[in-house]
Amino acid sequence: MSLDAFKNRNIGSQNYVPVNIESYPTTGWDKFKQVVKRGIGKELFVGLWVVLREMLKFKIHTVQYPSEVLPIGPRYRAVHKLLRLLESGNERCIGCGLCEKICVADCIRMDTRVDENSRKEVVEYSINLGRCIFCGYCAEVCPELAIVHGSRYENVSEQRAHFVIKDDMLTPIDFLKQQKEFPGFGALSPNADQLVKKTPLAY
Amino acid sequence: MKTKKDIKFFINDREVVAKAGETILNVARRENIYIPTMCYLEKVNPIASCRLCLVDVEGSKGSILSCQTKPTENIRVKTDSAHLYKQRQNIMKLYDVNHPLECGVCDKSGACDLQNKNIEFGIDCQDFAVKEPHRKIENWGKIQYDPSLCILCEKCVSTCNQAIGDDAIELKFGGYSSSVFLKNKNSKTLECSTCGECIAVCPVGALISTDFKYSSNIWELNKIIPSICSHCSAGCEINYEVKHSSTLNHESKIYRVTNDFENSSICGAGRFGFNFANNPHESNLKNKKFDEVVNALKKAETIIFNSQITNEEAFILQKLKEKLGLKLVNYEALNLQKFLNAFGRSSGETLPNGKIEDVENADQIIVVGSRIIVENPIVRYAMTKAFKNNRAFITYMHPVYEHLLHNVVRQFIRYEVGTEEGVIALLAEALLGQVLKFDLDVGYVSGETNVGEEELEKIFSIGKKSKKRVLIIGSDLIAHVKRENIARFLGVIQKFSNIRILLVPEESNSLGVAKICQLDEKESGNTVGYNMNGNYIISSLKNIGNFYIPALNQQEGTFINIDQKVKKLNVAVPFNGLSLNDIANKILNDKNKKQNTIEYTKNIFGIDFDSLENMQIESQEIEIDCNEMPHEISKLPTFDGTLVYNSRTFLEFNPFSAISQNVNINETVLIGSEQFATAGKISDGDEVEFEILGEKFRRKFKIDRNMRGVIALNPVFDKSLKSYLLSSIYKFQKVKIVKVAI
Ligand code: SF4
Ligand code: SF4
Ligand code: SF4
Ligand code: SF4
Ligand code: SF4
Ligand code: FES
Repeated sequence: MSLDAFKNRNIGSQNYVPVNIESYPTTGWDKFKQVVKRGIGKELFVGLWVVLREMLKFKIHTVQYPSEVLPIGPRYRAVHKLLRLLESGNERCIGCGLCEKICVADCIRMDTRVDENSRKEVVEYSINLGRCIFCGYCAEVCPELAIVHGSRYENVSEQRAHFVIKDDMLTPIDFLKQQKEFPGFGALSPNADQLVKKTPLAY
Repeated sequence: MKTKKDIKFFINDREVVAKAGETILNVARRENIYIPTMCYLEKVNPIASCRLCLVDVEGSKGSILSCQTKPTENIRVKTDSAHLYKQRQNIMKLYDVNHPLECGVCDKSGACDLQNKNIEFGIDCQDFAVKEPHRKIENWGKIQYDPSLCILCEKCVSTCNQAIGDDAIELKFGGYSSSVFLKNKNSKTLECSTCGECIAVCPVGALISTDFKYSSNIWELNKIIPSICSHCSAGCEINYEVKHSSTLNHESKIYRVTNDFENSSICGAGRFGFNFANNPHESNLKNKKFDEVVNALKKAETIIFNSQITNEEAFILQKLKEKLGLKLVNYEALNLQKFLNAFGRSSGETLPNGKIEDVENADQIIVVGSRIIVENPIVRYAMTKAFKNNRAFITYMHPVYEHLLHNVVRQFIRYEVGTEEGVIALLAEALLGQVLKFDLDVGYVSGETNVGEEELEKIFSIGKKSKKRVLIIGSDLIAHVKRENIARFLGVIQKFSNIRILLVPEESNSLGVAKICQLDEKESGNTVGYNMNGNYIISSLKNIGNFYIPALNQQEGTFINIDQKVKKLNVAVPFNGLSLNDIANKILNDKNKKQNTIEYTKNIFGIDFDSLENMQIESQEIEIDCNEMPHEISKLPTFDGTLVYNSRTFLEFNPFSAISQNVNINETVLIGSEQFATAGKISDGDEVEFEILGEKFRRKFKIDRNMRGVIALNPVFDKSLKSYLLSSIYKFQKVKIVKVAI
């Protein structure tokens, strides 16, 4: 693909809304007129009036952080989560190691073994958040949508170790109902079904 | 073989030359021209099952398989074209039919030929489908087989049959239900020598190691340390694959051992017995412990040691001997020295002239006095090759019948225990009788040894027809009391015939120790055991002894192997403690203190460790001593009663391989034939007790229906450091077996 499509700045007929901006004063006289208008004209008092009115109505617009947190976009990349399968509650991670391999900061490690049912079990999984650059590659490469980015961006704790082991990231089994399908970075696109080429099946 | 003239032909318009016997693929690889393959293995005959190596020849219709076709003069070969690419793509698509999409958990992922070739040929969708029959993963013990992953390339079967010789597995064709089967229908587990070569050659994840399964994704094993195996005198080149122990434990751990399976094979002890690294004594670094070991050495009169140590360690021990006036005792190496001395004075050369390569190329092979299958698996593999490629006539002379060799051995001769001297004399007579006159009462010796005259006649007549002959001499002959006379006979054979003699020493570095150390006959006074029992024990065997030193996968050093080549050991996992060199530095206290053990390599071989490459110890010519001609054979001993043979098992060669595989020592078994059971009035599963050299054994008795005769196999690897004493004596021992009432 060439870069022409990106270099073309002609916005054409797209749905942009042009903003009406008055032209800037150029001569000294015009500038003086603008200052007088803004300084002692009603513009100054409009602002003061709005503040006074809202204060009297007790409608507070400021977010009361930390007791109040704004929702954050699904593609934001904060501290990781390990998800479970929604139906069975089994862990999604199969231990394929792709995240460990792709991680640019080399900060993922996992221990695997054979479990009682002769399947591959991930016994420990850790991300060293001191090194993680939150690039999102791990979430993107994961074939199982197991490791994803959560929305918890407050990396504060008494101990570094508090964020980084499997127990901290994995959805607790009794919170399974609250687990949502992850829509963010690395998730399937809404039209994924149409993109898949079906293989033949003999039965 | 007839040597034909070289053949000139063209690959992709480049003029190339094929030597006699070379296929198109061989030439292409030599010339760095790429032809894709899936089933080709250097070490076995072309399998020709994958058809990926198709090439076109100008002027002829249809493509040919380059892996099995020899070129003819002036043909023009094309290795790549649009239609070849298409064909190869189709082959890959057929491989992919119903291949489970489980790369995510497959142990081969990342090093899988199927993955690689799919990417190479751009296969991103599947056009074919068939109904998949139900298939189950088979657990064969150390090895697991998943038929749904198998691509039926036959590499495993060919390797087992042609390179190893066990012939334990076979391929059964049946369309989409084809799969690999155990040849022994009555067993659900593999009863082979468990070399694990089939795992190594499998291009996909169909055959995998039960121990390694799911323990690590293989690309994480990014520390690959080339070294040599320390378990036997072959000194095979291996790679230790290393990674941190676990998420929270940063210490290095060996996860598996791999080898260059294209060209060579290793055995199960080397492949699975790697986990024997030692931990330093907690107080090792403290001065008190250090003073303790130094004082122990100063007080001692003798150092007892074995030959599973590096040349450098042996050299330091020799220095300690000179400095402190100690005795150095190593019975097995001393026996070897005596053997080699006698051999040298009768043959005129310090060393026997046989190499493993000679075995591979031989057309007559005689093995005497060795359970070769475990004493040196590589010699056995060479015998297999000689049989498969040159139809070599192999004679196996040993009191214990060896079932697994029945595929390749044409003549089994079971001689009487203890009569090795007579056996060798008879052999010398049969091989040289026309050249030399031995003072030998053939009738008497033949009767005592139980080696028939017709059998000798056969060896002689085969020998007349054979061009390349090898005589393999096992450690039973070196441990024998009459070792010197045996060596004289052998010396004469080497001198007066074209038969090459290959000596199989007992331990990994017996030749090195015998070359470096001046050994004493008998210990006395206070003893320090170096990897042996003694009043004070310095040991590299995990958590054994008074002072812990690094094990053989934790130090650099050299071995002299069976081919008299100098082989290098490297550090796979670190040892954060002190070694023999540190102790020596304290005691020697002279200006030539060495920082590292390997600085001694230069003193031994005249070359720095780092620049040492492919060094060969050359045999020297010495004067022949007329008194050292074979002596007349006096009475041959007889061994009556119950006999056991102290033997290794396929996976356990010594205490190091034993600890590394977590073998349950209580399950170590005494294995005998039905005949042995009847004679000893014991039955399968009985607990028995007996004693050798004052060491008590308590074993479960197991009947092996493939065994014959009345000698049972008794493993000694589970006796910790005492094992070395038990394996360096004459291995046949008379015992009194007592059944334990439970
Ligand atoms: S976000 Fe990037 S740096 Fe962080 S763990 Fe994932 S791949 Fe590694
Ligand atoms: S990529 Fe996903 S499935 Fe694979 S190991 Fe990482 S988290 Fe588990
Ligand atoms: S382990 Fe070795 S002997 Fe056993 S089946 Fe595999 S290749 Fe054959
Ligand atoms: S098990 Fe492996 S080596 Fe053997 S035939 Fe199947 S794919 Fe080939
Ligand atoms: S034990 Fe001997 S044959 Fe086996 S891998 Fe080690 S050196 Fe090679
Ligand atoms: S390499 Fe020639 S057929 Fe497989």
